Amino acid sequence: MRNSQPESPVSSISERLSGADPRASMTQLFESMRPDLLRFAHWLARDRSLAEDIVQESLLRAWRSRDTLKDRGAARAWLLTIVRREHARLYERKRLELVSLDEALDTQAVEKAGSDSDLFTLRHAIMRLPIEYREPLLLQTLGGFSTEEIARELDLSSTAVLTRLFRARNKLRAICGMTPAPDVSTSEALP
Amino acid sequence: MRLEIGADPAGGTPALEEHVRDCASCRQFREEMRTLDTNIRRALERPPGRVGAPRLTAPWRPWALAASVLLAMLAVMTVWLLRPSDTLAHEVVAHVRQEPESWLASRQIDAHSIDEALRGAGVKLDLSADRVSYAQSCWFRGHYVPHLVVQTTQGPVTVMILRNQRVASRRSFQESGMTGVIVPAPQGSVAVLARGNADLETLASQMQQEVRWLPDAP
Repeated sequence: MRNSQPESPVSSISERLSGADPRASMTQLFESMRPDLLRFAHWLARDRSLAEDIVQESLLRAWRSRDTLKDRGAARAWLLTIVRREHARLYERKRLELVSLDEALDTQAVEKAGSDSDLFTLRHAIMRLPIEYREPLLLQTLGGFSTEEIARELDLSSTAVLTRLFRARNKLRAICGMTPAPDVSTSEALP
Repeated sequence: MRLEIGADPAGGTPALEEHVRDCASCRQFREEMRTLDTNIRRALERPPGRVGAPRLTAPWRPWALAASVLLAMLAVMTVWLLRPSDTLAHEVVAHVRQEPESWLASRQIDAHSIDEALRGAGVKLDLSADRVSYAQSCWFRGHYVPHLVVQTTQGPVTVMILRNQRVASRRSFQESGMTGVIVPAPQGSVAVLARGNADLETLASQMQQEVRWLPDAP
C-alpha cells in the first residue's frame, strides 16, 4: 500500500521540507502527529501492521483534503477522526480477517516479565474491551474528545456515549479488583 | 450521578459538584474512578503488544532469566559510578533491560522476520540471517526501531537502528552491566550493546556502513 501511492505526504517529507514548498509546514504538522496517530490506531486495531496501514491511508486522505482544515489547532482531532473512520472502514471490509486477540495477547506476555503487573492487567483488559466500549474510551482518553464530540463522531446520543464510557470503565474497574458499580440502565443501552 | 462520574471522572458540572459534596458514597466512587482513570492513561501511553515476539515456553527460561537478572544486578553495582549522563544511551539501555529475554534467544531467526523488524524503520541490512537470534520492531521515543541480537565471537550483541535519533559523534558508555557505543549514521544513529565488557568497535563500524536507509521510511 505504501509503495503504490506516489503522492504520499510522508514518503516525500524530506524533499518537501528541504525545499521552498509552501505545503511543507502542513506536511511537518501531519508528520509530527504520526506517533500519536499510530498509538491511537494501534489500540483500535490491536495489530501494529494494521495500524501502520491505517495511519498511512489516513495521512493520504488527510493530505488530499488538507484544504478543508481551516484551523491548524484542530489538526490533531481532525486526523484522529480520519484514523478512526479509516479503521471503521477497514473493520467493515476485513471483519473476518482481523487479528486474533489471543495471538495479540500472547505476545504481550513477554512484556509482563519486565513491567508492572497491574498495568499489564489493565492493558490486557483494555485490549479485551469490545470495540463498542474501547472506541469511545480511546477517543476520550487519547483523543481528548468531549462526550458531545464522541457522540457526533459515532452517530450516537450523548447519553449512549456516557453509558458506553461508564460501562467501559466499570469493566476495567472489576478487572482491577474494585467492586463494580451497579450497571446504569438507560434507554440508550447498547443494541 | 454515577453515570456521569463513571463516564468522565475528571469532569464535573456544578450540579455534580454539589451532589458530591454531600454524598460520601459518590465522593468515594469518584476518587476511585479518578485513580482508575490515571492508570488507564498510563496503560495507554504505549501501544499494545509487539508482533511476533518470542514466547516464554521453555522450562529453563525463567531460571535463565533469573540468572541473567542476577548477573545484571551484580554488574550494575560494579559499574554504577561509570553510569553516563547521556540520555539517549540511558534510554537504549533501559529499553534493552526491559527485554531480558532478547539475550537468551538462541534460535535462528528467519530472513522474513528480520525484514519485518527492519521494515517499520525503513532500513535494509545485509546481515547473514544465521547470526541473528532476535529481531523485533520496538517502540522507542515515538517510533518503531529495529532491535536485533547478533551472535558474535564475543557472545550476543544487541543492535538498535535509531533512524530518528541523530548524534554528533561516536559515544561509548557503560551502564547497568552493559558496554555500548552509539555511532552516527546518515539518517540517525546505530546503538550496539553487549553484556559485560566487550570490544564493539568492529561491529559498530560494520553496522554504520551496512545499514541502508530507504527513502520512503514511515
